[in-house]
Amino acid sequence: MKSASFRASYVLASALLLAAGVPSAPAAAADDVIRIGVTLRMIVENGLKYGQMTKDELEAVNATGGINGKKIEVTLLDDECKPDRGIANVNRFIHQHKVHLVLGSTCSSVSIPMVDVVTKEEVPQIIPHSTNTSITQKGSPWVFRTSVSERFYSAVHAKYLAENVGKKVAYLYTTDGAAISFAKDYMGYMERTYKVEPIYTAQMQETDLDFRSHLLKIKSLNPDVLAIGGQLDAIARITQQSYEVGIPSKVRRVAASAASNAPVPELAGNAAVGLTFAAAFSCKDERPVAQQFVKMVQDKYKVRCPDHDFSQAYETAQIVKLALSRAKLSLTDAALAQDRRAIRDALATIKDYSGLASGPINFCADPTPQCRDGNRTGILVEYTKGGKDYDMRVLARVSFEADFGLAK
Amino acid sequence: MNGPGTNGAAERAPEGWRDLSRFIPWLLGFCVLLVLPWLAVNPYQNYLLNVILINVILAVGLNIVKGFAGQVTVGHIALAAIGAYTSAILSVKFGLPFWLALPAATLVTGLAGALVGIPAFRLEGAYLALATLGLAESVRIFISATDYVGASIGFSDIPPPMLAGKPLGSHIAYYYVVMPVALVGIYLSFCILRSDIGRAFKALREDSLAAAAAGINVRKYKLLAFVISAFYAGCAGSLTAHMSPGFLNPNSYTITEMVTLLLMVVLGGIGHIWGGVIGAVLVTIINDLTVDFYQYRLAIFGMIIVLTVLYMPRGIGGVIDRHFATKRFIALRKAKASVNA
Repeated sequence: MKSASFRASYVLASALLLAAGVPSAPAAAADDVIRIGVTLRMIVENGLKYGQMTKDELEAVNATGGINGKKIEVTLLDDECKPDRGIANVNRFIHQHKVHLVLGSTCSSVSIPMVDVVTKEEVPQIIPHSTNTSITQKGSPWVFRTSVSERFYSAVHAKYLAENVGKKVAYLYTTDGAAISFAKDYMGYMERTYKVEPIYTAQMQETDLDFRSHLLKIKSLNPDVLAIGGQLDAIARITQQSYEVGIPSKVRRVAASAASNAPVPELAGNAAVGLTFAAAFSCKDERPVAQQFVKMVQDKYKVRCPDHDFSQAYETAQIVKLALSRAKLSLTDAALAQDRRAIRDALATIKDYSGLASGPINFCADPTPQCRDGNRTGILVEYTKGGKDYDMRVLARVSFEADFGLAK
Repeated sequence: MNGPGTNGAAERAPEGWRDLSRFIPWLLGFCVLLVLPWLAVNPYQNYLLNVILINVILAVGLNIVKGFAGQVTVGHIALAAIGAYTSAILSVKFGLPFWLALPAATLVTGLAGALVGIPAFRLEGAYLALATLGLAESVRIFISATDYVGASIGFSDIPPPMLAGKPLGSHIAYYYVVMPVALVGIYLSFCILRSDIGRAFKALREDSLAAAAAGINVRKYKLLAFVISAFYAGCAGSLTAHMSPGFLNPNSYTITEMVTLLLMVVLGGIGHIWGGVIGAVLVTIINDLTVDFYQYRLAIFGMIIVLTVLYMPRGIGGVIDRHFATKRFIALRKAKASVNA
């Protein structure tokens, strides 16, 4: 045993030494370059494309001499919507790549622990996709969000549907974070504003395939609205099965923002017609800036109808470039902390930024949701055609006060 | 306790010295590991060292039940989740310090391990794998649907360990919490596996009927394998929970993580005493090195599993064992030849 354990102790020690040494290659960060770490969920429909687009947009300035003469270097990583991977990525960005700014992530469950890391290490973070309300409620002075917070989203459809369709709502949602947030915020708004209780609620697993037993019960209750929370495959499946069990088309189907992803109308087919969701962008937005963006994505990334994951990633990249142009940066290793602070302060000066987002984006210095939830306008979109050639229209555009949905 | 070829001077040495000399390699290993974080170039590498060591604890535990007792379990990751969430609940909701939450979580997970072990009384092979898979998914789904532990959004703000009123929140400070635990875990696995219990486990693995005929209480040892393995999983889970930034999410305990854990044991060498350690270190490093090639990572991992099973069915540990066995055989043959001459 002695010789075996002797050998083995050193196998462990040398392997750990290897672990400490091998992945350390990029430790020497170059001066005079603005380094940005981007972490997103990319192994999903179009994920690689919007990740690449974010990198391309940020590095596009290098072709014209950079920002104030400084080049941008982007490290792009996938976090697979897994918090431990997101934490590893952000640690890698901060300590190994010595980034000036972190951009990410997509899933709220990844962005939440990332906020804790960047706050501790004092690195600015800008979030393009995550919607969970609690992200900016953590009160970090280093965190900004360009995506629409769930506290606004939930009210977009709740308000519109209560006033235009009806208040008898049945909720069917899965166990993922966005679905729970969607359903609970919707219920909460209806209860607070109209004193209306849900006529039916049921929670299913993300992996469930058959929702018909719940849908039959819902049919018998004759609701005005069927609220569907889930990821895209669950939304498509529930929408389709709701017609199979005979819930009439006059019952408005409303879904969480994942319904904006292309596979939903493609999978649901004709059942997608009338399906409504809140989003930050629609490819049917007729503003020239939006149509120019849609054409760029179609030509360069071969996506027919870019959803709000694309638009928000693009918007975030533009805001980052604007902030970088305003920040006074030394870009030396010694001035890293000072540069990070300068970028944070420059981000806080973004006011009335008007681009692809449904409304202006505003940040300010206070580390509060009022200051850091930049986009306070959501749109309500309805599919007018399902299948591969799906189509949609914008039903409403709703803006909110900065402190909407926050406890007084 | 001596390995082959070590029976000369050591056996003639006094008893006390032999006992002491057994610890020397471990003490030397401890000394090397003690200075290791100071060789790291940046805190990310210290973070990585902590992840490696936690994976080592997990893999060593899995190797006990899978490699030595031969029980096909795919529920080990759920036990880690139970340990992690128990420790988090005890710390955040009940205000228990880490130093009490860690052993308490380990004990609770041990009890959960006993529950996982019960199906093993009647099931074997693929059937046992299916039963433990069901349990693993149930645990994940239960956490995902339970608001008390943050549901699918996650459990945040789990405090780091405190020592003399100071938080051990940095990666380097936390290393000195994880490293001794990992080393003790490895040492204990040695002790267990070289004891009567370990021999009973191996007998179970080879043929449970023959083991029963030889007087081994099959049920008792099957259960014991699951419980010991669960202690390791619970301990690793608790260490994960309290590592900065102190965040848990059920998405970190899916079947993908279980497959990665199995890969550690398979690559390191199922049933090889150092298999779990070698595998955990290598897989974590490969995982980190391939992070830039995110499009191909899953394919790389799949290929490693297929190639290992095809060309190194006993893993790296098996190759090392064979190398030393061949060397010993050649030396023995030479010695015999010289005696004959």
